[in-house]
Amino acid sequence: MKPSAQDFAEAAERHLDDVHAFLVYLTGDRNVAEDLTAETFARALERWRRYDPRRGSARTWLCQLARSTAIDHFRAEERRRRREGRWALDTPASEEGVFGEGLSPELERALSRLSASEREVVALRIVLELDGESAARVLGISATACSTRLSRALQKLEREVSADVAA
Amino acid sequence: MSPLELVDDRFGELARELHAARPVAPEGLRERVRALAPPAPRRFELNLRMLVPAAGLAAIAVSLAVAGGIGVLHSPKSTEHGTIQARRPVARLAAPVPQAESKALGQRVFGATLAPAAGRLQQYDANLTVRVDNRDDLSKTTQDALRFTRRLGGFVVWARYAAPSDRGASELALRVPVDHVQQAIAHFSAYGTLVSQRIVLKDLQQRVDGLTARISRLRAEVAALKEQLGRVLTPERRALLEQRLQRDQAQVALLTRSKAASVRRASMSRIALTIADRPKPAAAPGRLGRTLHEAGSVLARELEVLLYALVVAGPLLLIGLAAMVAGRVARRRSDERLLERS
Repeated sequence: MKPSAQDFAEAAERHLDDVHAFLVYLTGDRNVAEDLTAETFARALERWRRYDPRRGSARTWLCQLARSTAIDHFRAEERRRRREGRWALDTPASEEGVFGEGLSPELERALSRLSASEREVVALRIVLELDGESAARVLGISATACSTRLSRALQKLEREVSADVAA
Repeated sequence: MSPLELVDDRFGELARELHAARPVAPEGLRERVRALAPPAPRRFELNLRMLVPAAGLAAIAVSLAVAGGIGVLHSPKSTEHGTIQARRPVARLAAPVPQAESKALGQRVFGATLAPAAGRLQQYDANLTVRVDNRDDLSKTTQDALRFTRRLGGFVVWARYAAPSDRGASELALRVPVDHVQQAIAHFSAYGTLVSQRIVLKDLQQRVDGLTARISRLRAEVAALKEQLGRVLTPERRALLEQRLQRDQAQVALLTRSKAASVRRASMSRIALTIADRPKPAAAPGRLGRTLHEAGSVLARELEVLLYALVVAGPLLLIGLAAMVAGRVARRRSDERLLERS
């Protein structure tokens, strides 16, 4: 049975926070994340008829779409910066409270020092609490690789936090 | 079990803090998403996942329809089939035929074949294979061939008749006076369909002439030796001449027998006649069976074409597939690098 518009509305309501949080972690920028979240849901609405619940949950599917939307954004941004030579000017300065309300400033700064690739696995596995298989599907890698990537990201995060506290 | 519980104990506190402080979508964003209008329904949406199996099913359906259509159109009706069998033009001669008719037929059939030369000694060998319609004809024509051979003054050297369940045949080795050989061949050929015919003519006149000359010479020598032996001779000379006389007389006897055999061979032609009946036709399939057979043939042809296309296009498809996979891998790596840099 094909998913209906009503199903989409329900899925959007239920998973909006997840997609938004994932994109916040991926981009490290709340404004960009909001725009990309809206774009992700716009794309999802267009493709909602193609969504097959047998192939994975709506949350996983939406996260996959969000990731591909973010990658398109990164690519476009990279092209724009290269063209305009404005890399240094456009690199956003670390701001407080990007990755969530109530995070310690050390953890906030440590997260901003991780790469998008490291932050996305943390977002999927820790923040969204996706299981290994689903997270691996979103990232397009194996479950083992996903687990390894998570472990390294957390180690790095902890190192960064410790270094910040020590400083 | 929550994924958080699976995280290494060292990172437990870190993970709990991250999870507790997860970003929440602002109300403005929630409104934006709620306001998204569903796109206008497309009249036709190209979906490869559905299109490929649908195209495959359509191709199979078209193949079956074409095969079935051709099968129905090309399969002959049963009555037509029977008519074709009955109309088969076969020269038959189950009962003895008047010699005049047989001869006329022989001239018609063998007008251009070898005939023994008049006035010369020749060895005439003929090998004939005739097919008759059924087992009854086989029996009748075999008996007729034996009778006809004897009527022409010939004889049967040997005959073999075998009629198992599927296909019967009789093989006859006949001797027919050479003067009547053409008549015999024409008669035998009229039993049914002439499948094969082989005639070999070998001239014996030269050999017989040679033998005659040698015999004459030897006889003259014998006469001369006898004349010498009537004279007074030394015992040694007499013994020598008597020895030569005996040898020449034996030679004369041998050559005379050989000449007689050649003459006999030239007087009687050798005919090897094989009469076979037609194999029992398989039960004629019904209209449905013929239709299915035709359809099967067309399907086999279509499969052949498909196989040919696969053989020709297969390497290109493989290259295309490999390029697609390589493109995906490259794209994924490029994404990973991009995310590493971001």
